[in-house]
Amino acid sequence: MTEHPTIVVEGLGKVFQSPAGLREMLRGRLFGAPVEALAGVSFTVARGEIACLMGPNGAGKSTLIRILGGLLLPSSGHARVTDIDAGAGTAEFRRRVAFVVGDERSFHFRVSGRGNLHYFAALHGSSVAVGRRRAGELLERVGLAAAADRPYREYSRGMRQRLAIARGLLGDPEVLLLDEPTLGLDPRGARDLRAFLRDDIVRGAGRTAIVCSNDPAEARAMADRVLFLDGGRLRGESAPDRIEAELGL
Amino acid sequence: MSAAAVARLPWFLRVLAAFIRRELAALGGYRTAFFIRLFGFGLAAGSLLFLSRFVGAAVNPHLAAYRGNYLGFVVIGFLGTEFQQVGVSGLAQRIRVAQMMGTLEAEVATPAAPWMVLGAPPVYEFAVSSLRSAAYLVGAKLLLGLDLSRVNWASLMVAIPLIIAAFSGLGLLAAASTMLVRRMNPVSMVIGSLSFFLSGVMYPVTVLPGWLRTVGRILPLTHALAVLRGALLVGAGPGDLRDSFVALLIFAGVLAPVGAVLFAYALKRARIDGSLSHY
Repeated sequence: MTEHPTIVVEGLGKVFQSPAGLREMLRGRLFGAPVEALAGVSFTVARGEIACLMGPNGAGKSTLIRILGGLLLPSSGHARVTDIDAGAGTAEFRRRVAFVVGDERSFHFRVSGRGNLHYFAALHGSSVAVGRRRAGELLERVGLAAAADRPYREYSRGMRQRLAIARGLLGDPEVLLLDEPTLGLDPRGARDLRAFLRDDIVRGAGRTAIVCSNDPAEARAMADRVLFLDGGRLRGESAPDRIEAELGL
Repeated sequence: MSAAAVARLPWFLRVLAAFIRRELAALGGYRTAFFIRLFGFGLAAGSLLFLSRFVGAAVNPHLAAYRGNYLGFVVIGFLGTEFQQVGVSGLAQRIRVAQMMGTLEAEVATPAAPWMVLGAPPVYEFAVSSLRSAAYLVGAKLLLGLDLSRVNWASLMVAIPLIIAAFSGLGLLAAASTMLVRRMNPVSMVIGSLSFFLSGVMYPVTVLPGWLRTVGRILPLTHALAVLRGALLVGAGPGDLRDSFVALLIFAGVLAPVGAVLFAYALKRARIDGSLSHY
């Protein structure tokens, strides 16, 4: 299973340099003190595997998943997803890899869920007819068919997460990168969504996925393997049923 | 435009059509803003009418080149300013809003090239602004008696694409500065203020001292207004407006590629410092 990994990360590092404050500028500096978000991170994820990235806030999970999604360039090392360099930023890469943004601000609030998906379908290169059909299928699949024509602003948190997942599936990607997919959901809603993601969206479709979370229940419910990040470094990995032991909980 | 970009033109047109559909779908939620804007337009039109009556009553040598038509002069001045505003601020504003709303990251994560994602709104805005300008001119003709009997269509057809290209170059520079400094763009503010002062929006540039007139010539709006007023008010042909056309061509030829390169750099910086989703 690990012979031909879908995701290969080697020696990945990321240093952020914030713009200088007034004090630094008066000293002739253009940037503030560098912040090391990731350092020497290496791992692989096999085809069809669901890996969960766990770690406290500020551990570097979001930075890592954004690099894997091609939205952020690393400072050192490299990441390959489906044999394409994540930093290359090619259309083919973005077709194969879907970054499911949990941020609920990422849709147009005054437009319906269906209207939002139509727009993103066009960004995937779909014609009007294909985009409409695909959006309809996906809305059905994520359980939003009945609410498809309601404005996005009227959606609940769970509905918004489901719409984000539908958007991630528009291009039928090989890899899903999910950043805290059940954040803010009630326990039952979170449980249902995890099962749906795991069984229907990832395993059922033969996809590979990385899920960022700091919730052990999420990791247990979804992942085949858990990777622990802390302070920007990979501290180890474990089977999902050994998370508490690894974390000393 | 590169061969790859030409090959992606049908895709861009689909993105543009989807963007327009989404904007129209969202319009229903902005009814109050629409009526406030309409009210503002009514006030502006009334101000222009009384201003033109006041100025038009005097014999003014500076308006001789426009056949004393101050109403036409000032209406075109404002329309040109709005056109510049769309060009210079349209893309930058769109990026700023998309960064603040959080849509930018989701959009650039799709297979569409960034120029497709970010190119659709300015094209739409220019189209809307062109239609709005035409409606304003017709309204000014019907309601305020604006004399448009000498329009030179050939000059107008040459002028509009050149003006759009020149303003778009400035727009790319403004958008790049917005992405780099993550503030409402300083380029737009500087260009807007200088142009209002030196390009002859409210008064002919002939009233300015010589050295200020020279400074005004380095602004695209000065030449845009010269060709628009020439074509719309006095029926000047392309040959009569050659100097301004050449100036606009130079602005377009220099600003557009420089703006594109700087904008590509700003996008790369955003992928380095992670600012696609924050501001």
